[in-house]
Amino acid sequence: MSKLPTPSRASSDKSSSHPGFAVRSSATSSSLASRRATVYDRNMNRRAPDLALSTFAFLFSEMVQYSQKNVKGVQEMENRLSAYGYHVGQRVLELATVREIKNAKRETRVLGLLQFINTTIWKAIFGKVADALEKSKDQEDEYMIIDNNPVANSYISVPKELSSLDCASFQAGVIEAVMDGCQFPAKITAHSVPTELYPLKTVFLVKLDPLVIEREKYMR
Amino acid sequence: MAVRTPRQIGEDVWKTRIEKVNAELVTLTYGSVVAQLCKDFTNDYIQVNEQLDKMGYNIGIRLIEDILARTNSERCRSFKDTAEMISKVGFKIFLNITPAILNWSQDNKQFSLIFDDNPLSDFVELPDDGKAINELWYSNILCGVLRGALEMVQLQVEAKFVSDVLRGDDTTEMRVTLIRVLEDEMPVGDE
Amino acid sequence: MSFYLAIIGSKDNAIYSLDFGTYRQGGDGTSKFSADVRQLCPFIVHSSLDIIEEVQWTNSAMHLKVIDKFYNYLISAYVTSGNIKFLLLHETRADEVIRQFFVDLYDLYVKTLMSPFYSVDQAITSKVFDQRVKMLAKKYL
Repeated sequence: MSKLPTPSRASSDKSSSHPGFAVRSSATSSSLASRRATVYDRNMNRRAPDLALSTFAFLFSEMVQYSQKNVKGVQEMENRLSAYGYHVGQRVLELATVREIKNAKRETRVLGLLQFINTTIWKAIFGKVADALEKSKDQEDEYMIIDNNPVANSYISVPKELSSLDCASFQAGVIEAVMDGCQFPAKITAHSVPTELYPLKTVFLVKLDPLVIEREKYMR
Repeated sequence: MAVRTPRQIGEDVWKTRIEKVNAELVTLTYGSVVAQLCKDFTNDYIQVNEQLDKMGYNIGIRLIEDILARTNSERCRSFKDTAEMISKVGFKIFLNITPAILNWSQDNKQFSLIFDDNPLSDFVELPDDGKAINELWYSNILCGVLRGALEMVQLQVEAKFVSDVLRGDDTTEMRVTLIRVLEDEMPVGDE
Repeated sequence: MSFYLAIIGSKDNAIYSLDFGTYRQGGDGTSKFSADVRQLCPFIVHSSLDIIEEVQWTNSAMHLKVIDKFYNYLISAYVTSGNIKFLLLHETRADEVIRQFFVDLYDLYVKTLMSPFYSVDQAITSKVFDQRVKMLAKKYL
């Protein structure tokens, strides 16, 4: 059996157990608890009104600039951006579920999960559903999520050298976090496949971990 | 053409000329940035504040063009006008908030912005390590943005937070001080 | 009536736990577990994780209801999208009320998760969270 958890608190006294805590900190947090509204008072269903796309675009372009420091190549750069997306994705997953809690269910099959990502997750953060979901004909462990016009790419007033692949890495990170969270580990890579109609078209290649394939087979 | 107040300008642009994204995308993305910086600087929050300010500055110097392009507004006649534009137009367009402008100094070179609402810090709870609550200014990127944007219109300012509800204070207040005007004159009248 | 709540992370690690008693019928909110049972609670709850692992692939609901028994105690479970498990050790069956408790607990969990400084699978130490869980316990159980 794996390491057993120790109960973290009894129902009685809860004085801060961390030594070296500044007195102000524990005093503040308990007065915080009583005094002001905390995040726990917020209504999750009250969605904040939308913000300007430019806000995201400016923030994102700075993230890219910052990530460029000390980076030894494109791959490392994409990993860093993907990490930001991962952080966001972990939260969007649970947030999107809790908002639809009446109809919520856990995805137990690959196809169901990918459709959930394409619709609910995409809508939750990008305000639209992804354009297509395809299964690779040759590889049984590969699927493709297609976005003709990734939101993060369609911005203005940012340096042209910002490649669209950077934004896609961020989105790939979001997808990866959702898949990991739902217990469907996979590697996600973003590929730019411009067409005349959709110059920013991006394909997110989802390569499932062998463990997932095994489990799918078993469940059939 | 009728003269519009900054508030009207802000509202108008907000309603009609802005492509919108989900607020949570911004909140969560900004959160991931701050979290990453804290990791990169191993919780040296002073450095994190500085980095956020730098990033904000880089954003500010480009963001100002965006505002000027969208609003076609007149040159500000006074620092008070500038403050109004910052709050009712700038913050309105980019964060859909209009922080209150208060606490003007005697010489009209200093004012405070009070943030009742701040999409960047939604749902944030500072880490319980005893340090963050004394050292981190979570939304410090905004100070840099202001500094950068105003520098592009020839105003050298200092902007810094003096209180933050995330730290347990009653309000979130940013103090903005005009250091000097970078040009000899500020032309009055239409651009 | 006594209860033991545990929140277990995606790596089977403990994130939060609380033992409490009912406020109903004159109860004072403190658990009445004997010392032995109290010590065993984390183990009991942890051993039902194996059952969850199996059941979660055949049942796509979040609320798995009662999944295990230990003598006269029942263990109910709720699994979130991100594979975080809420486990409640209780004495009498009360599926609907427990489900509502879990749903509100999920809401609290997500609010905790939304902070950029809280990582998935990290222990929850917020006193406010603790307070709110107790309020939920009082409300439902």
